[in-house]
Amino acid sequence: MAITRRELITTIAKTGGTAAVAVTVGTQALHAETVPIPSAAVGLLYDATICIGCKACVAACAEANDTPPDTRVDGLHQSPTDLNELTRNVIKLYKPTDGTPASFVKRQCMHCLDPACAAGCPFQALSKDPQSGIVTWTADKCIGCRYCTITCPYHIPRFQWQGYNPRVTKCELCNHRLEKGLKPGCTSVCPTGAVIFGPRTVLLTEAKRRLKENPGRYAENKVYGETDNGGTQSLYLSHVPFEKLGLPELGEESVPARTLRWQRRFYQYFALPAVLYIGLVQIIRNSLKGHEEEAHERERQTGLRAQL
Amino acid sequence: MSTEARTMDTSASVRPEQRWERAVPVYGFPIVTPFFLCLVVLTMIALVLTAYRELAGLGPVSGMNDAYGWGIWKTFNVMVMTALGSGAFAVGIAAWVFRRKKLHSLMRMALLTSFLAYACGLLLLGIDAGRPWNFYWIVFPWKWNMHSPLAEVAICMSIYAMIPLAVENLPPLLERLWYFDSRLRPSVEKIERRLHSVFPWVIAAAYLLPGMHQSSLGALMLLAGERVHPLWQTPFLPVLYLGAATFMSFGCVAGTTMLCCLIWKRAMDMEVLDDAAEITQWLIFGWAGLRIVDILFRGAFGTAFAFDRFAAVFWLEMLTTLGGAVLLRRSISTHETDKMFLGYILSSVGGMVYRFSPTTLAFRPNPQALYFPATIEVLVSLGFIALGVAGFLVAVKRLAILPAPLYVWHDMASYFRFRRPYIRWTGYFKYGHFGEDETLANNPD
Repeated sequence: MAITRRELITTIAKTGGTAAVAVTVGTQALHAETVPIPSAAVGLLYDATICIGCKACVAACAEANDTPPDTRVDGLHQSPTDLNELTRNVIKLYKPTDGTPASFVKRQCMHCLDPACAAGCPFQALSKDPQSGIVTWTADKCIGCRYCTITCPYHIPRFQWQGYNPRVTKCELCNHRLEKGLKPGCTSVCPTGAVIFGPRTVLLTEAKRRLKENPGRYAENKVYGETDNGGTQSLYLSHVPFEKLGLPELGEESVPARTLRWQRRFYQYFALPAVLYIGLVQIIRNSLKGHEEEAHERERQTGLRAQL
Repeated sequence: MSTEARTMDTSASVRPEQRWERAVPVYGFPIVTPFFLCLVVLTMIALVLTAYRELAGLGPVSGMNDAYGWGIWKTFNVMVMTALGSGAFAVGIAAWVFRRKKLHSLMRMALLTSFLAYACGLLLLGIDAGRPWNFYWIVFPWKWNMHSPLAEVAICMSIYAMIPLAVENLPPLLERLWYFDSRLRPSVEKIERRLHSVFPWVIAAAYLLPGMHQSSLGALMLLAGERVHPLWQTPFLPVLYLGAATFMSFGCVAGTTMLCCLIWKRAMDMEVLDDAAEITQWLIFGWAGLRIVDILFRGAFGTAFAFDRFAAVFWLEMLTTLGGAVLLRRSISTHETDKMFLGYILSSVGGMVYRFSPTTLAFRPNPQALYFPATIEVLVSLGFIALGVAGFLVAVKRLAILPAPLYVWHDMASYFRFRRPYIRWTGYFKYGHFGEDETLANNPD
């Protein structure tokens, strides 16, 4: 005897259910959770102990990216108060009142190895280049949902609040200059070498050399970005605690890997939802049969057309 | 009403003439009333302001800023209102999956409120998006970021509102066509037969999809990490968001139905309302239990006793939801409709506060950051809620949505027979008046 549709659906639900739960729970690490370091990852190394706060990098960044200078504070000087829709790179000053050392800090995109902005971006407008690891924004794919401004733990992407065609602004490591063999704007003008550009491995070696040669000079004796948030391509050295510079303690696991683990597993291959769906169809098919019979019974009793 | 209600309580069962047996349009009331005109004006204002927003950008019309990238359009009209509009999901699952058969009489209300809440929410989601023209990527699945909660929400919500929810709302429309012109009946019946054959697949999708996106709405804030206050930030956010949606939507569906019965003087079927209240209170107790256990296990309970706005919001939310649940519990046996209604209002408000918190009230991007909605923002938000309410008023007056005892259908039939005899000239009831034996109309011989 041929298999009925009901049997077919029930069988699919039973075998599929087991398989789907196995896929969801049993998988050790999903593809999305493993953080591969891009083959030619480039980045920045910023050393807060060398930075003199001259802001040459801010002007050079605006020039390199062809953005008008942000003169909104006094109408005269290019003095952005923070990152904004005109500013991809900013120098800020941390100056405590209790007499502990002050420090400048250069803020721009960290180019995380597992970027939270790209993990949340619905249509991959923010994406990480597989070779250089640069996180770039694509205007054609962005719907302007501003989820990146919510998710980025460093609060880097900024949305343009004015105009009918808003853009998201973030440091893209001057990838248009890199193509021409030039260095990013900020590193090309830094007079003290506080920010340098290079392959991530080289920068990491250099940072560790500085840590080793100057014991006691750097806070926590670590390179921020080596492992923080799963590793970043912009690396920081500082003599004040990193948290004071707006670089929060995020742990070694990246934010998306840590927070979206179960969300990602549930939707892996769409296995669990599909099985749930088949099971629901089967239950509702049965309910509907009983419901229709009752409705038609009532139709016979009342003489009024059945409402389903 | 209390004395009357109490005397009624003593009779254990509901009087048969109060039993909801059929959805009946609200007849004899004009659609255009002063209140309706107010709603229309609000909607028009919102549409004009929307045009301004599309030209000027989000900054000039809203209080959103770099720190608070999301304003009330997303956090209230989408996150809160679609939770209130999850009736098609929560009531539907209770009725179709768990077979609480009495709840079938509330289903049309649930489906209508859901559709309106989702449609208005989605419209505002499109207005809130800075670059809405890029939404066309939604038709290319290989361009989706499958692991993004926001992609899940945007895609799943649009598909849900446009396909399963819309299809589920077709029967009342088809029914009206069936009564409208006898010449349409064969084709309407053909469509209905086709519809019924795909119903299991549609209804199942109508439960799977909201389950997915209502929980993903909670997952949205997981990525925000510690910027969400520890009383709210938990790996269980998706489950808690879904749970809040279930009891809020029960409150919305049952509460709206009670309000409609009050306004248009319909009998209330206490058997159905008791059943809904019973389910709602257990949903609330379960949800609040999970919420408190989760806070205790994460060791965040101490922050609830800090003297700050977060603790105040937390206690407001807890007291309203649990207070609502207690009121519902007490109203079940005594049939005190005022208590029951208040219980639904309180628990829904509590749920709304909860759903509003992680993105706004308990979201602290940095100590200086401040967000307060701008006037235009509030007007647009209100305008799109007004659109939903106006749509609801038109629908219940033209379609058979609101449940009623059987005699109301016959009353309606005689109302139209004697007050609007000209309807007969249009061939409205070729095979006799409705309210008479309508099965004859199917088989005239």
